[in-house]
Amino acid sequence: MEFLITVGTGSLLSVFNMAKIIIPLMIFMEIAKKYKILDRIGMLFKPVTNLFNMGEKSGLLLVIGLVFGLSYGAGAIIQHTEEEQVPKKDLILMMSFLSLCHAVPEDTLLFIEIGAKWYYLLGSRLFAAIIFTFFLSRTKKFRNDLQVEIE
Amino acid sequence: MINAIQNGTKKGISMTIKLSKVTIPIYIIIKILELTPFFLYLSKFFSPVMKIFNLPGEAALPLVLGNCLNVYAGIGAMSALNLNSNQITTLAIMISFSHTLFLETAVIKQVKVDAIKMVFLRIGTAIIFGILTGQLLGGN
Repeated sequence: MEFLITVGTGSLLSVFNMAKIIIPLMIFMEIAKKYKILDRIGMLFKPVTNLFNMGEKSGLLLVIGLVFGLSYGAGAIIQHTEEEQVPKKDLILMMSFLSLCHAVPEDTLLFIEIGAKWYYLLGSRLFAAIIFTFFLSRTKKFRNDLQVEIE
Repeated sequence: MINAIQNGTKKGISMTIKLSKVTIPIYIIIKILELTPFFLYLSKFFSPVMKIFNLPGEAALPLVLGNCLNVYAGIGAMSALNLNSNQITTLAIMISFSHTLFLETAVIKQVKVDAIKMVFLRIGTAIIFGILTGQLLGGN
């Protein structure tokens, strides 16, 4: 009986703790979508996309994936490629970055909630994604846009 | 504005329900397994590998769940096990890099990039950063 009570309260508490993070986060994201806050953040990403030798529009796509997650980011990227040609190398760079680092607010907050140190978590994710994407963009194959143009 | 708040609340609630369907069963199963010698064997079996991350053997469970299912499964397992803040940080970093591999690899494939390379990238980064943080923070 005691066991049931411990397990019951423990699991309900963990759901409550997740709800406490997820619901406000979703509200914030809906507001961000409505007022196109991401477009503005995307502009701020220009130095980052320059660093990776990527097209200007990629900044917004990266921000969408970083904030909303991989499925949402991939969806936005696919939609964008239907509207205009995106070099294959940009797609590989974007997906490499987003593979390592996506859905940052949600994941980070949920891990903090159970006791992770956020600066290590956020720091290593951003560091790994930026460093890897940067070096990939400087490899021989990626330096020349024309070589890896979409077939 | 009110519309956005309503939509956000709805999405948040439905997502919380979706997540609890994953975390509650995992939490309960782990608590039941704790009454059995299961973790003793699991821990013994995995502790040589987990040592490189400065993690106890049973921490293999959230890693496996996180990679095969999703982050929430990993979190459910982590909160049921008795881990300290450093161990949670190391696990959180590893799971952040590499999680939900089956589903997310399918998503990556849709962008028409080499998804298998992305899997290696994610697992590799998780292992490297797992070792680095584990050794940097120490076991306790």
